Amino acid sequence: MARNDAPGATVFMTNVKIGLVVLGTLGLYTLVANSIPQVQSEVPERLSFGADVSSSELVSAGEELFQGAGGCVACHGLGERAPNLRTAEGNDGTIGARCGSRVPGVDCKTYLHTSLVTPGDYVVEGYLPIMPDMRRTLSETQIWALVAYLESLGGEVTVTGADIVTSAGEEAPSSAAATPSGTPAATTVGAVGGMDPVALIDNNLCVNCHTIDDRGVALGPSFNGIGGRVDANYIRNSILNPGAGASEGFEQLVGVMPTNFGQMFTAAQLEAIVNYLAARTEG
Amino acid sequence: MSDCIPRSRPWLWAVSLAGIALLAVPLGLPAQEAVMPQYGDFPLIGSRAAIWIAAQVHLLFAAFVLGVPMFAVVVEAIALFGGEERYDKLAKEFTRLLLVAYSATAIWGGILVFGLVTLYPGIWTYLAQIFAPSMWAYVGLFFFESFTLYLYYYGWERWKEGKAKVFHWSLGILLNVWGTTVMLIANSWLTFMMSPPADLTPDTAPQNVQFWSAFANATWMPINIHRLIANVVFGGAIVGAYAAYRFLMASSDEERAHYDWMGYVGNFIAIGALIVLPFAGYYLGREIYEYNQQMGITMMGGFMSWLWIVQAFLIGVLFLAGNYYLWVGMGRIPGAERYTPYTKWMLVVLVLGVIVWATPHTMIASREELEAMGGSHHPFLGVLGVMSAKNTAVNLMILTTFLSFLLYRRGNKRLTHPAAKTITSIQAGIFVIAAGVVLFYGVYGYFVTAIVRIGFSVYQVLAVLGTIVSVTILDAIVLRNAESFGEIRWGHMPARSQYALFVLAVTFTWLMGLMGFARSGIRQHWHVFEVVQDNSPWAATPALGYAATVISACVLIFLALVAFIFWLGNLAENPSGKTSAPTRPVPVSGPTPATGD
Repeated sequence: MARNDAPGATVFMTNVKIGLVVLGTLGLYTLVANSIPQVQSEVPERLSFGADVSSSELVSAGEELFQGAGGCVACHGLGERAPNLRTAEGNDGTIGARCGSRVPGVDCKTYLHTSLVTPGDYVVEGYLPIMPDMRRTLSETQIWALVAYLESLGGEVTVTGADIVTSAGEEAPSSAAATPSGTPAATTVGAVGGMDPVALIDNNLCVNCHTIDDRGVALGPSFNGIGGRVDANYIRNSILNPGAGASEGFEQLVGVMPTNFGQMFTAAQLEAIVNYLAARTEG
Repeated sequence: MSDCIPRSRPWLWAVSLAGIALLAVPLGLPAQEAVMPQYGDFPLIGSRAAIWIAAQVHLLFAAFVLGVPMFAVVVEAIALFGGEERYDKLAKEFTRLLLVAYSATAIWGGILVFGLVTLYPGIWTYLAQIFAPSMWAYVGLFFFESFTLYLYYYGWERWKEGKAKVFHWSLGILLNVWGTTVMLIANSWLTFMMSPPADLTPDTAPQNVQFWSAFANATWMPINIHRLIANVVFGGAIVGAYAAYRFLMASSDEERAHYDWMGYVGNFIAIGALIVLPFAGYYLGREIYEYNQQMGITMMGGFMSWLWIVQAFLIGVLFLAGNYYLWVGMGRIPGAERYTPYTKWMLVVLVLGVIVWATPHTMIASREELEAMGGSHHPFLGVLGVMSAKNTAVNLMILTTFLSFLLYRRGNKRLTHPAAKTITSIQAGIFVIAAGVVLFYGVYGYFVTAIVRIGFSVYQVLAVLGTIVSVTILDAIVLRNAESFGEIRWGHMPARSQYALFVLAVTFTWLMGLMGFARSGIRQHWHVFEVVQDNSPWAATPALGYAATVISACVLIFLALVAFIFWLGNLAENPSGKTSAPTRPVPVSGPTPATGD
């Protein structure tokens, strides 16, 4: 067994080396993380505009939201998840230039606002309906500011104080959302719509992807005549476990349907919907 | 009582009552209207950083005390059923590290709870209203867990033989059951904040939230699985660092041989579990996307997109350091020099894999930057930055690391099995097929839509997992009755190999902090995602640079405390306090005190 002549010094030096390796590794990682672009996720700023708000004020606020707290860039400025709003898609120009011609009879302002609050209504061809309802995270005022900014990207800003006034008094969801102390209004836990299957279907986003009678968006299989195509068990399984399979012609949408309906509906609500749809054998 | 009041002075009694009543008015009425403060303040670093540090350090200790018992009980089982005493000694040494670490876990847990109560009382009350029953169960289980650990450790020598040893081993299993259950409970609280049931709105009163739907929320099980594996990885890495320290400080060849072996076992556990961790990560990521697309996009392509580049860099360091340790370790295995020529090619695959994995793709960019790049992607890097390329890279890196382990394991073996050549050829064929499957789907992924491409990762993962399982089985068959080129010369390792173990431990710890930031940060300015908003001055989710600084501080605190804990362990072992000089770790020749792999 070999022995070192200066044990204390050797132990000390070994400790120093270990310390340097540890600190060096930590320092390297900290340095790397500080060397890359620094992006902070800001809290959406509360906006309170009156009737006299100018277009430039709205556009400025909207741009800030678009770039930051609105989280829009993650999909609409990067990758292929959603149309890039700041560049031309085909020859249509940027979003402000093309929004007015997207849906016949729908003007740019309405188109953009609708796309933000009920995004399932106008899903652009070639894209999946992944856009969330922005009312969950932004106030009406903030949404109008976003509309103004998007209009400004190649078009004329038509949002005015009148639009804002209709939502006067509204605040950002920071105040609408529950405070951590939890003093919210009493509410029920479960899906919206009581026991009426039609109300349940209408009020729980089903029509965002399925048509029934003349309502809804024809993205997923239609509910019209569904009872003639599949049985009640199939419908029930499709609601509870939508990722398990897909109807013919809709394979590419596997994984799109939310998986939480089983948690949202009570057993009675679920059965009401299942029985209602299973009975719709002819439209 | 009335006798005590002077009857001659009833006015005095009346005045006293009136005085009390007057005092009660200013004190009492506002008390009824008082609003509980939502946030407290912590000096210098602010409440967010204070809670962040308390939670992270607590979590690091918790991961250690949950991970180590898992493999301690497995190592003890090897001793129990295999009859090798040295494994029993190793298992006990693992467990000894737990004792003080448990206290530290509890202390930091206490700091965290008091921090939440004083700095974030609002959200704490909200969560307590939903999860109170599980909080009581948590405390009870922690109690059982602690005392099971004491029984397990202090009963080691008493219950060492026969049925008593089986009983002792079952205590180890029980310890893991308590520990895992405690983790499952705590995970439900934090995953609820991340993925509350979809029907919850800001108007839902906490008392109306169904307990089980909050408890078993969308990301609960994925986090459970991910953390379970990550704890084993982490525990193995910390044990490896402990062994490395003891190796470097060893005063005898025997001691050094023991800690060399212990370091190898720690590294084997860490890297072995790391290999399967990405699969758990895929599952978690997929569930996050399923729960909320926007949250998934924020995580992978939003303001956190750069985080994954840093993560790729860290995992690259882990793969390189882990493989480096194995390759250096082959120097102490007679016969392993046959495989040395392959290491440079494995290094090439690993380095290329890291480069591809760390290639940025969808980055937040300004309008000017978009114009400069000619689109949302860089014309060159955009091709390598997509998931098709990254999945291919990481799967090939996993295959390469698995091959390193195989070669290490075969280092001193001369195969005597009659079908050795055939089996080895089949193993090689499986590797080639798996690599082919991974590459095929990686390339094919460029030509299909995103929704189809996502499914390809499953085929790639299955090919790699299938290879790991089938090749391991074949290896066990072919190594049966293999002859030895010579015994492994434990302790004959250069010091630089031990520093690689320190790098592994620091990197694993830092990576845990980074992933904790990612998991928590994707909630952004919400305490409970889209239900309870963070209205504190620290609600914004900080940039990666700030996060990295806090993470480094947490890691430093944790490692300093761990070093202190290890030192305490040595105090018990060496009460005289005499320090022997470490002997030189570079081998020349010498005894082989311990053998085997």
